[in-house]
Order: sequence, then structure tokens, then C-alpha cells
Amino acid sequence: MQGIRRILALAVPALALAVSPLAHGEFKPTRPVDIIVHTGPGGGNDILARAVVTMMEKEKLVPVRMQVLNKPGGGGAVAAAAVYERKDDPYTIGFITSVWLATALTAKEAKVTVYDLKPIAQLVREPAVFAVRADSPYKTLRQFIDAAKAHPGQLKQSGGSITSRDDIIREQLQHATGAKWAYVSFPSGGDRLAALLGGHVDIMVIEPQEAGENVRAGKLRVLAQLSETRLPKWPDVPTLKEAGFDVTPTPQIRGVVAPPQMPADAAAYWIDRFEKLTHTASWKKYLEENELEPAFVPGDAFLESMKETSAELREQYQKAGVKVYR
Amino acid sequence: MRRPASSGDFLSGLALAALGTYVVVEAHGWTYMGEDGPGPGFFPTWYGSIMVLLSLALVVRSLRAPAGAPASPVRWREVGRALMTWAAFVACIALMNWIGFAVSFALLTWFLITVLARKRQRVAIPLAIAGAVLFQVVFSVLLQVNLPNGVFF
Amino acid sequence: MEMLSSLIHGFEVATTPAALGMCVLGVVLGTVIGVLPGLGPSATIAMLLPLTFKLDPAGAMIMLAGIYYGAKYGGSTTSILLNVPGENSSIVTCIDGYQMARKGRAGPALGMAAIASFIAGTFGVVALMLVAPPLAQLSLAFSSPEYFALMVMGLAMVVLLAGDSLVKALLAMLVGLWISSIGTDLFTATTRFAFGQVELLGGIEFIIVAIGVFAVGEVLGNVEPDEPPTMIPVPKGLRNLLPTREDMKRCRFAFVNGSVVGFLIGCLPGAGSTIASFISYGIEKAFSRHPEEFGHGAIEGVAAPEGSNNAETGGALVPLLTLGIPGSSTTAILLAALILWGFKPGPLFIQDQPALFWGLVASMYIGNVLLLILNLPMVAVFAQLLRVPAYVIYPLIFGVSAVGVYSESSSMFDLGLLALFGLLGYAMRKLHYPSAPLVLGLVLGAPMERALRQSLMMSQGSLSILFRPIPASLLVAAALLLLIPLIRRLNAARLQVLDREEA
Repeated sequence: MQGIRRILALAVPALALAVSPLAHGEFKPTRPVDIIVHTGPGGGNDILARAVVTMMEKEKLVPVRMQVLNKPGGGGAVAAAAVYERKDDPYTIGFITSVWLATALTAKEAKVTVYDLKPIAQLVREPAVFAVRADSPYKTLRQFIDAAKAHPGQLKQSGGSITSRDDIIREQLQHATGAKWAYVSFPSGGDRLAALLGGHVDIMVIEPQEAGENVRAGKLRVLAQLSETRLPKWPDVPTLKEAGFDVTPTPQIRGVVAPPQMPADAAAYWIDRFEKLTHTASWKKYLEENELEPAFVPGDAFLESMKETSAELREQYQKAGVKVYR
Repeated sequence: MRRPASSGDFLSGLALAALGTYVVVEAHGWTYMGEDGPGPGFFPTWYGSIMVLLSLALVVRSLRAPAGAPASPVRWREVGRALMTWAAFVACIALMNWIGFAVSFALLTWFLITVLARKRQRVAIPLAIAGAVLFQVVFSVLLQVNLPNGVFF
Repeated sequence: MEMLSSLIHGFEVATTPAALGMCVLGVVLGTVIGVLPGLGPSATIAMLLPLTFKLDPAGAMIMLAGIYYGAKYGGSTTSILLNVPGENSSIVTCIDGYQMARKGRAGPALGMAAIASFIAGTFGVVALMLVAPPLAQLSLAFSSPEYFALMVMGLAMVVLLAGDSLVKALLAMLVGLWISSIGTDLFTATTRFAFGQVELLGGIEFIIVAIGVFAVGEVLGNVEPDEPPTMIPVPKGLRNLLPTREDMKRCRFAFVNGSVVGFLIGCLPGAGSTIASFISYGIEKAFSRHPEEFGHGAIEGVAAPEGSNNAETGGALVPLLTLGIPGSSTTAILLAALILWGFKPGPLFIQDQPALFWGLVASMYIGNVLLLILNLPMVAVFAQLLRVPAYVIYPLIFGVSAVGVYSESSSMFDLGLLALFGLLGYAMRKLHYPSAPLVLGLVLGAPMERALRQSLMMSQGSLSILFRPIPASLLVAAALLLLIPLIRRLNAARLQVLDREEA
């Protein structure tokens, strides 16, 4: 009797150890993986997705092929629906940007929003700076704001749609300082930059990477940056807080989501893979070249941060007169 | 009311007038002129109204044209062929998600050759299969283009 | 002559075996992509980007650029043979090119497309080389008021596309304007005409409407008669398959028109190659001695738009390389590619990277020559496609249209739209509504509205911003265009009166 008990005492944990990987159902992909993006080929998220695919391959993080599936339309609403349809498929993930948050709030027709999906991880934050022409009279953001106060509505900013971060930061600054200046929407970054360089508008919010060359050539001047701390490539440019404006810009992020019923082990696998990716040399190089801020936030913390941002956006949109549906 | 010389003009004019009216009514629900300039209702109001005016002019013209002018009679049999072809195309698209691009395209090809061109089966079937294979190979395999994949392939 | 020595240095870079190989690969791939409807250069370049990391940047850039302008050569093929636009900007080529094919002149049409593309493409490269930096500065003077006036002038060209009934042409254009406003408004985030469908929030892709109305609509119209239409005669012999000397003479103005208009419009980031093709087609018809031939197979109606969409590629590289501002989705990807390789297009690009810039310019000369040599013999091959019986071609058109649309967005909804617009195209044919104005309205509607609203935002509501020199002159040109039918009608009435007096 005693011998059997002893054998069992050893055997059971041994068996448990042997069986445990199967019991946890550790996920390892054996089929190609689809990455769904909300832009057409060549759009921002498409390029990032393709770069990620290349890096995952190079760093041997994923044993199967990953392919990008373009589902453009509706500011991410079509892509969100496409991810949602995959229900519990562990071989589908989606890449999101903050546009998905705006769409979740303002698009009545969207049947699926980012909040119906499973959050995997936030990857990066996209920084931005305020830029004016080099020959403009404003050398600091304070000077621009003062001029805007003196001539309300006469100065102009070029930017994206009314729901974009360009307009949100403008609304926040206007509210905080009492200044008022006009906003002209252009669909693409190139148009906005052309409008500024051509003297048709006075200021714009631009990604530092887009501005870099024109600053170096002496055509643009950067007044302030929107991040919390100074970016390494722009050590001489004050942040908004340093420039004296107590305003927290809403973050512009890129991240990964998954179908809502993806099994827990598959989701854990993807969180782990992306975390490993952010530690690789190729990722760091990519971020440096594209001037993106590393901002890895996994799973639930990512969801919390999105909810916070959405609450801020909701408030701003309502103030700006944009109809909010959720 | 005189019979319109061209019922095509008459009916399409009415349809476009209806569309124009719809556009103007919808546009009424949006801002026409905001504080920063024209709102989303501005353009639709204008092109909708012009659409209504022009289409009514077309309707009037179709009624006033001399009835003697022989409008070519509508050959309904031919229109039927065209509509049947269109229906086949729609069916092909509807089925694509279930049975895959290759199979539904083969069916469409077979239908067009058999029913419309009235060629024999020994022409229709090989061509249908050949066409489907060709598309699958060139697009799906060689060019890595996404094609709807149904239950089979 | 500093420029000459830079150019020679560029040729040294571009004629290494590796660079030449990349050039050949690029232009061949580009031509294939252009021939196949729906498959666009932007998608291809995006998919090839990861592969280019392993290559030397100059060579990779030469290949990608080759795809970009090579696609413009290939785009005319299906437009002429099947009335299916191979590429967005080839839609204008369908108008006269397809009519030429139906009259047995597919060969000269294809050949002229290649020749015009070559002449204008080379012009574009020369201009890029000579005047890029100063022209870039000039192009910055073009902003919303100028774009608005340009679009208005473009729309005024509807009178030139009208055919028999101006009322119907205007109605078609208005429907095009309506379709173009479907989607989310940029300025207020209001959704317009989306019928509650999330897929319509971003608007309807132009190519779906174009392929539906032109290609599918054409097939539906053609299946009507019980007996198959008489086979189109395909002449034998290379000589009959290429444009005649007479054709070349007729197109002299078209070559200049396409080159200049295409290049200048290409320099404007806010206007694309489709607009360039429409405007040069309109100008060609406006100045033609036999405008009534347009729409029924006038060879200049092929030469002008095909030339301008090639010159446009050279023009589009001006703001891209000298300011870092892309003007279209394809140039946006080229920009992304350059950034990924560590280059930064901007005002200092040419002086910092002379090898890359001049190597690229030199390779574009070479590429255009290669494309001409490649495409002219292919004319004979492609023209044979017309020998295929109709009942094989029609399913082919359906298949190619569906694949073309699906490849862009993998959306069954878009395929449904394709079928819907096919029915619309058929209805328009039966009811004698011209389809080119619909496409014109669709292309220009949203940009024109945006430009007007931006202009008024810039001027705080004052219309005077539209009376700056450039917009004012373009608006005057538009007004003059609109007067043409009135003048022609007065002229015709006058001649009638004279006839009656003489009788």
C-alpha cells in the first residue's frame, strides 16, 4: 500500500508536468496569418504592417507566413467588421490607429467598433510638432497664440478632418488661452504641407519626420512638440508644457487587436510575440528612422488607455459640435 | 396629355427629378452655410436643384416633341437578353463567397456560351473550365491577388 | 554645363548591368500591371517594398519608378480593346480608343498610345531634369482657390463631351457629382448619402464606377442581338497595325498638348493623372478642326490623354523629390520607400543625393525607350485578342472586371456595386445618356467642393480669394468653354438663315 502511494506521489506530479503544456493548450501557429489593415496598399498602416511582417520574419519570431489584407473604408469601420467576423480565429489580427477610436465615437453606421474586438497591444505613439514657415514672424508658440488673440479668426491652421488630433489640440489650446484661429481641412499630409509652404495658411501640426527635411533646408521652423518629453531628434524644441501651455494632447497611437473570441492562449501568444518584437534591433531601428515613440502596452492596460482617450475625444468632439453616437 | 415621343426620356427624366428631389430634401437636414463657409448641405442643394430643373426640362421636351418622330421601337427581346446576362453576373457574384471564384466564374462562362451564344456543350464546357483555371492560375497563384475563396477552393 | 555633367554621371549610374536589369524588370512589371485592370502600381510597389530592402537603393528606386511609369503605358491596352480601363487615368482613352478598335483600327490606337506615351514621357523627364526646383516653388502658389478654378474648368469641359444632347450630358455629370459626395464629409464629419451602409462611409471608389459603367455596361449592350456582331476586321501585317504617317501628322498638337498639360498638372500635388487626361482631351477637342470625330474614334483622342498621363509621372516627381510632398497614392508609396531606405526627399535632396536623383532621371530616359521598344511589337499580339469570339471575350471582361475590383479591397460589397453600376451603364446606353460626363463629375466633384470650402475658410468667407490671377483666368476659360455650344448653335442658326435666303 505504501509503495503504491509513493509511486503515485511521484507519478502524479510527473504526469501533470508532462501533460501541462497540452492542458494549457499552448498556441503555436501552423497556418498563414492574416493582418487586416484599414488602408489600401501604401497607406500608413499598410506600410507598418508590411514592415512588421518583414521584421517578424527576419527575427524569426513567427514560424509561419504573415500576409497583409487590405480592408479600407469608413475610417476603420470596414476593417473592424472584417476582424470581428473572424470570431475565434487565432490566425487573424488587425492593426489599428487612433482613427478607429474617432470612428467608434462618430460613425453612426459602423456596426462594429474597436471596442468589440480583443485588444492585444499598443505598439507606438506618433509624435507631432507645431510648424510654421521659416520666414514667419512667430518664433515661439506663445507669439503665435498672442497674435491669434489679437486678430481672432484671421490666422489659419491646415490640418486633417475635424475629428483628427490636429483639430483637437487646436480646440484645447483655444479653450486654454482664449485665442481663436481658423482651421482648414485637407485630406492628405502633402496638401497640408503644401498649403503651409505656399503661404496659404500660417501654422500646422505635422509629424516630425515629414517636417525634417524642410526644417533642415531652412524652409520650416518648429515651435513646439506635442509629446510629454522632448524627442531625441529635437532636443531644442520645447514641449507644450514647457512652452507654458497646460494642455495634454490626446495620444495618436498604433496598436494590434484580435477577433473578439480569440482563445486566451492565442492572444497571450500574440502579446508575447509583439513584446519580443519591440526588444529587437530591427524594431528599434525602424522606430528611429520613422521617428516613432516606443509605447508598448499589452492587453487590458491597452484597453484602459483607449477608453481614457475615447472619453477625452468624446468631450472634445461635443465641444466642437461634432455628433457623437457612442 | 400627348403620348411622349420618347418614353425613355420621359421616364428617365422623371426618375432623375425624383433623385434630385431626394438629394435636396436630404441636404436640407445638413448645414447649408456654417460660420466657416459652406457646409455639407451647400453643394448637394445646388446640384440637386439643377438636377430637378434639367430633368423636368427633359420631361417637358419629351412631351412636346412632334409625335410623328419615329422613336425606334424598344426591342424587348433584346433587352431581355441583356437583363438575363446581368442577372447571371449578379448570381455569379452572389455565389462567389460560397463556392469560390473559380467555380462561379466557370458557371457564368458556361451560361453565357450555352444560353446566350447558343453554342454546343462541347464548346461551352471546356471553355468554362479553361477560363476558370486560367483566372485562378494567373491571378491567384502567379500574382497573389486575393480571390473570393468559397467552401471548396 | 553642370547639369550636363550631372546627367552624364547619372547615365553612368543607370547603365551598370544591375541598374539596367532593375530598369527592365520594373518597366516590364509595370506594363503587365497596367494592362491588368484593377491591379494598380501602388499595390504592386507596396507589395514589393520588403523585397527591395535587400537591394541597393538606387537600383530599387529605378525599378519602382519603372513600375510607376510603365503602368501608364500598359493601361491603354484593355481600354482600347475591351473598354475596360486598365488604370484610373486610362478611362479617357476608352472614349475614342475603343471606338477605333470597333472600326478595325485597334492596332493604330495601341501604337499611337505607345508613341504618345513615349514622347510625353520623355518630355516629362526632360522637364523634371531642367526645371524641377523652380517649378516646385511655383507649384506651391497653387492652392485651394486655384484648384477650385481648375476643377471648374475641368467640369466645363462637359460641353465638349456632350455629343447630341447637352441636357443629358449635364444630367449625367450631376449624377456623377452626387456619387462623388457619398461618404463622410471631411470638414464636419457628417455622413452624406451612405444609406446606412458602413462600406459607403469612405465613398465609392472611382474605378468601380468606371469599370461598371464602361466595361460591364458595354457587354450588356452588346449581348442584345441574337446573332453575334460581325467580327471586327483585324488587318494583317505590321504596317497596318501601326499608326500611319497621316495619323502622326494629325496628332502633332496632341503630342504637345499631352506633354505640357500632363507635366504641369503632375506638378500640382492636388490634381492627379485622371484630371490631366480629361483636361488634355478637352483641350484637344476644343482646338480640333474636326471635333465631331471625337467620341467616334479620333486618334488624337487617344494620343492626348495617353500622352498626358505619362508626362504626369514626370511632373508628379517634381513635388515629391524637391519638397517631399506626394501627389497621389503611388507617389506616397515611393516617398515611403525612400524614407525606409534612409533618404529624405526635400529641398536638399538633389544636392545631397546627386547619384540617386540623376541616376533616376537617366534611368527614366532609358525606361521610356525600353517601353516603346517593348510595346510596339506587342501591338500585333494584343490586336489579335480581337479575333477571339465575342462569347469568349464577354465572360473574360466580366471576370477581369470582378478580379480588378476585388483586388483593391477584397470586398463583396464592392462587387455588388460593380454589378449595380454595370446596370446603370447599360441603362445609360439605352437611354442615350453619355457616360463620360458621369465619370467627369465623379472625378471632379469631391475635390472641387473641398477646394471651394477650403478657399472660403482661408478667406473667411470672402469670394474675392477666387479673383486672384490664376483662379480668375481659369474661371474665365471655363466660362468661355461653356459658351462654345451657344456659339455653335448661333452659328448653325445663322447658316440656316443664310441657306434659306439663298434658296
